[in-house]
Amino acid sequence: MAAESQPEVPLAVRLPSTEKPLTVLHVSLYHPTQDPDTFANVPPKLQHDTNPLLVGRGPEAHLQLRLPCLSRRHLSLEPYREKGGTPLAFCLKALSRKGCVWVNGLTLRFLEQVPLSVVNRVAFSGIQMVVRIERGTSLEAFVCCFHLSSSPLIHRPQAEETDEWESKPQEQPPPSSGQRAPDHPGLHHGPSHPSPGGGTETQLQEPPESMLC
Amino acid sequence: MSNFEDADTEETITCLQITVYHPVQLQSGMFQSIRFYNREKLPSSEVVKFGRNSNICHYTFQDKQVSRVQFSLQLFKKFDSSVLSFEIKNMSKKTSLLVDNKELCYLNKIDLPDKCMVRFGDYQLLIEKEDGESLEFFETQFILSPTSLLQENNWPLQKPIPEDGCYSSYSTQNTFPTEMDENEL
Repeated sequence: MAAESQPEVPLAVRLPSTEKPLTVLHVSLYHPTQDPDTFANVPPKLQHDTNPLLVGRGPEAHLQLRLPCLSRRHLSLEPYREKGGTPLAFCLKALSRKGCVWVNGLTLRFLEQVPLSVVNRVAFSGIQMVVRIERGTSLEAFVCCFHLSSSPLIHRPQAEETDEWESKPQEQPPPSSGQRAPDHPGLHHGPSHPSPGGGTETQLQEPPESMLC
Repeated sequence: MSNFEDADTEETITCLQITVYHPVQLQSGMFQSIRFYNREKLPSSEVVKFGRNSNICHYTFQDKQVSRVQFSLQLFKKFDSSVLSFEIKNMSKKTSLLVDNKELCYLNKIDLPDKCMVRFGDYQLLIEKEDGESLEFFETQFILSPTSLLQENNWPLQKPIPEDGCYSSYSTQNTFPTEMDENEL
């Protein structure tokens, strides 16, 4: 059952026992076949502790996606803190030996990782995932709110530098220090594409063909 | 899921050598569950936790002052590298983790240098990485040091030996060497 998008989502989700709001990861998911089985095990909301959150096909995955070409352990989202008393940040690591993960213009191979920005476009095994981080102050746990999209989240623009990742040095996405305005996820380094008004789906750059297996 | 046997062509394995020391290690037995000198092969996807809770941690310190999970080691691969790298992450809310002279607070993490001194409380861990080819596995080996691993104690000039030739072997980094005039003895 698709997780409903709530236009009036409160700024952050609060734990009843403490005052500190949890960091919320707003995760939109899309797969072209629109097979209801793919995201059948995705709950509307998932609260997780400070251990890495595992995404994959296998039974131990915290976010279990049902696709044969997905690895049992495909990627992880690891909460951590940057120096300086900041709230939770997240690092995405590729765990698949066979497939790779495309993140914000970067192709990650086995064990490669990248810190997430405020808004992130992720693609793997044909799945498109947009992750928007709404920072809370709690260090105990964080929450994922899942939204299943019936239309593509990431679509075709100009060629990406990641097409030649072997020959070019990787450019890390900028840390979320305000360089990307949270309300306009379509704006990023390189030519700007203003995001179209309305709707929760954001029109963002498409990963290379190899990511859409 | 874990199959530690590598049936393909032998690849060299990254080895992490961890030399530990604690000033009261002989009396308190905090290291008794660690198999010193044993080489343990672990999958590179594993997050290796160190702490007091043996159900959660891979390596346990039997000491009430140690946090349930004190710190963890995670493996990753840098974009411009063909070998494994390590990150160390402080998992303790109570105690800072010092990596050389960098202080890590709760959930802070940094890349682990190839050779570095990690400290929390009175615990000293000298961690040395020897690169290997394999991205699938790595190896750990623990060594117990009879003496403090800190630089000050290796410099004779910084710690003058008293006239009677005896000095405490349990000195920690918090003990400043004191100058003694021979007339004061």
